[in-house]
Amino acid sequence: MIVDGRAVSTREGDSVLVAMLRAGFHPSRGGCLCLAGDCPHCLATVNGIAYRRTCQVAADATIVVRSHPEDRKPSADQEATARTLATGACRHRHCDVVVIGQGSAGREAAQAALSAGHEVITFDSAAGEDVVGIYPGPVVVARTDDGMVQARPRLEVVVATGAMELHPVAPGGDLRGLVTRRGATQLARAGLALGAVVAIGAPPDEVQAEAASGTLVRFEPRAGDPRRLGAVVVRDDDGNERRMVCDTASIDLGLTPRDGLLRIGRGMGVRGTGDVTLPAALPASPVEGVVCPCLGVTVADLISVHDRGFRELELVKRATLAGTGPCQGAVCVPHLRSFLAHRGASVPPAFTARPVARPVTVGEAASGAHLQATARTGLDAEHRRLGARMDRLGGWWRPWTYGDGAAEYAAVREAVSLGDVSTLGKLCVSGPDALRLLEYLYPARVSTLAAGRSRYSLLLNERGHVIDDGMICRESESRFVLTFTSGGATQAEWWIRDWAETIAADVRILNQTWSLGAINVTGPHATRLLERAGVTDPPTYLRHRLADVAGVRCRILRLSFTGEVSYELHHDVVRSVGLWRDLLELGQDLGVRPHGLETLLTLRLEKGHVIVGQDTDFDSTPRRLGLDGLAHLDKADFVGRRALVRTNRLPLDRRLVGLELSGPAPAEGALIWSDGVAAGQVTSSAWSPALGKAVMLGWLRTSGHGALADEVVVDGRRARRVTTPFYDAGGDRART
Amino acid sequence: MLALEPLVCTRVVATVAAIEAARWPTGAIALRVAPDEVLVVSSDAAHHTEPADPSLVRSVVSLVEEADPHAIVEGDSGWRGAWVGSDQALAIVERTCRWEPPRERPAFAQGALADLPVKIWLEQDRVLFIVAAPFAADLEARLR
Repeated sequence: MIVDGRAVSTREGDSVLVAMLRAGFHPSRGGCLCLAGDCPHCLATVNGIAYRRTCQVAADATIVVRSHPEDRKPSADQEATARTLATGACRHRHCDVVVIGQGSAGREAAQAALSAGHEVITFDSAAGEDVVGIYPGPVVVARTDDGMVQARPRLEVVVATGAMELHPVAPGGDLRGLVTRRGATQLARAGLALGAVVAIGAPPDEVQAEAASGTLVRFEPRAGDPRRLGAVVVRDDDGNERRMVCDTASIDLGLTPRDGLLRIGRGMGVRGTGDVTLPAALPASPVEGVVCPCLGVTVADLISVHDRGFRELELVKRATLAGTGPCQGAVCVPHLRSFLAHRGASVPPAFTARPVARPVTVGEAASGAHLQATARTGLDAEHRRLGARMDRLGGWWRPWTYGDGAAEYAAVREAVSLGDVSTLGKLCVSGPDALRLLEYLYPARVSTLAAGRSRYSLLLNERGHVIDDGMICRESESRFVLTFTSGGATQAEWWIRDWAETIAADVRILNQTWSLGAINVTGPHATRLLERAGVTDPPTYLRHRLADVAGVRCRILRLSFTGEVSYELHHDVVRSVGLWRDLLELGQDLGVRPHGLETLLTLRLEKGHVIVGQDTDFDSTPRRLGLDGLAHLDKADFVGRRALVRTNRLPLDRRLVGLELSGPAPAEGALIWSDGVAAGQVTSSAWSPALGKAVMLGWLRTSGHGALADEVVVDGRRARRVTTPFYDAGGDRART
Repeated sequence: MLALEPLVCTRVVATVAAIEAARWPTGAIALRVAPDEVLVVSSDAAHHTEPADPSLVRSVVSLVEEADPHAIVEGDSGWRGAWVGSDQALAIVERTCRWEPPRERPAFAQGALADLPVKIWLEQDRVLFIVAAPFAADLEARLR
């Protein structure tokens, strides 16, 4: 393998750390190595991924190691960043019991579960299966050689991660040559020459060591090599210091439960077994040296914050950041608890542990996750084939423009055009109580709507605020088709289902938004185009009926959102492409062309049509929108009626108004100024080719007397308040 | 890799009693997607580019409307589906599905697969994946 640009030979069974130490490299500045995946002293960048525990990575010839710089965080080059961001595979596995750790206690727990007939999944860090967290569910997330794994047990998670060796806190604790007792044994077995070894506590197995009896005072550097251990100084019971020259210090200060995952899983059906459940023996309170090697927090830092009143473990953590580094407190928490216990009445419990327990890459964290999908209409591929610039709006991919906005606009106003309105919400409601339900849900009068007729209506919540709008089409005495905005369809379905249940309405509800395509045929020649498609008797304004259009069964809705004659053709979505192409073909000599959303937004603004969600606020009432006439307060009752009756008695505080000015259209969101005071904002704005000026909708606050200013300033220019619609005020073009 | 094809479906919304009393046509798979809603799929579904089979729709209408005259029965081409072998299906599920699919066969389940709304019909040797047409391209891309 390559370490900091130099070739390093490896042996069978070596970890990256062992191979590095054998070759004379140390992955970090120094510190007591544990070789058990607990401490932060062997962290390095491995194959482009920073903060990898080299003691847990098997060495082979493909590995490239870069030591972390001592004075700053490890940097990432372009390749390393790409590796960090790359999302790999994620496997989802289900079982009865997950056992974390495969030491003796873990093996026993797994065997017991298997004997009881349970399905078991085990994770063993020694086998490259590193559990990085436990999440509510519980879900155990692990990094393995084959990518990330999410395991979901039906019964329980058993944590059998054992106990870890305590690390020393003393001056010189960051020297190279310090190793825990178990770690020293591992190094000896791997054939590393440890030189003269001093053992603090019990000596390591299979290693000749001189025992250092007494209390550890400090580690001293070697003469001529300030980074390397030269001696261990201990103090006997009589207070006499003894200096023991050595190459390696083997440190045995006792064990503490490796309980990070157990604490993360608290309250989630997670239990411990084996040494992880042992009561933690606290080390002596630290006197001097680095307590948290990840963040370099010293005993002096602890004393400083303690003296300033930070006397609880959580507060000390926040004040010093001790315990928040890559080892997540594994090394420092026992010392922090001991420090505080020495100064207080009781031993504080370890602080809250949260995932992740191990550093993970962004890619690992995101593996198996996806961005929210954007729905595609049946014409999506057709729009792209025609060169449309697509954009995401209302949860759908929609054609913004086909490249020539002016021509698209002209086609609608002067000839005929097609628009894809498949994204509109479409709901079928049927049943003996369908009329009762809709009469209660809508502020419009539904009972006077004859079969074959349609009516535009707002949809209100209990506070009388507009939450959506659309058409109510009556098919028969007890069956209706409703349409909603593209972005509001799902919410509208929930709303209607919820109210149907609330008022115990006997109805059937079918959401056909994804099943039905819809093409808007609009423009002065729209009726001629339909005639060519075989519709000799198209419905008149605000009527609808079933008919075959170019051989495709359609529900034809005669309405107008563009200000011109319009027919919405609702049809089986699988027929969308054929119908679209046939209409374009049939209308070639009529000047037909498709229009995108950019054009549609200008067309509807010229007509002053409100877009719910763009022109409305969360508290827009029909009155504030200037649409009072759509709320029939003389109806017995409907959702929002009582609120409207009450709020209509209050003075009007603001209104959505129409504004026009000469010159280019201001940006949507621009402030509206009246008498030098910000009095509202523009919600929709566009240059009107038909009118030769900019037209806008915007919220305008009333004066103290409830009056609206006739002239305001927008974008530094004078704008005039006008009544809407701006275009074809009488509606002749739309109706005829 | 999943190659999704248009599905021949019929959607039925009716009273719970009418749905439970209905006997679905031979060769149809009735998926109970909600207490009051069934998605009826032709068992040889795949490679159908025509809208929902009118004869299937008609037979379903007659079966249900007798018990519930207000039932909504509509042919529906807004779905895409693909049959795959059990082993491939399990591999797809392991890679993309956070919830555990049922173990009995046949069985029906619905939920997020690759973070998209999917329905799955599991038979002994094969599994039918169904997704709403607006998300079919995304599902194919995510399983690639």
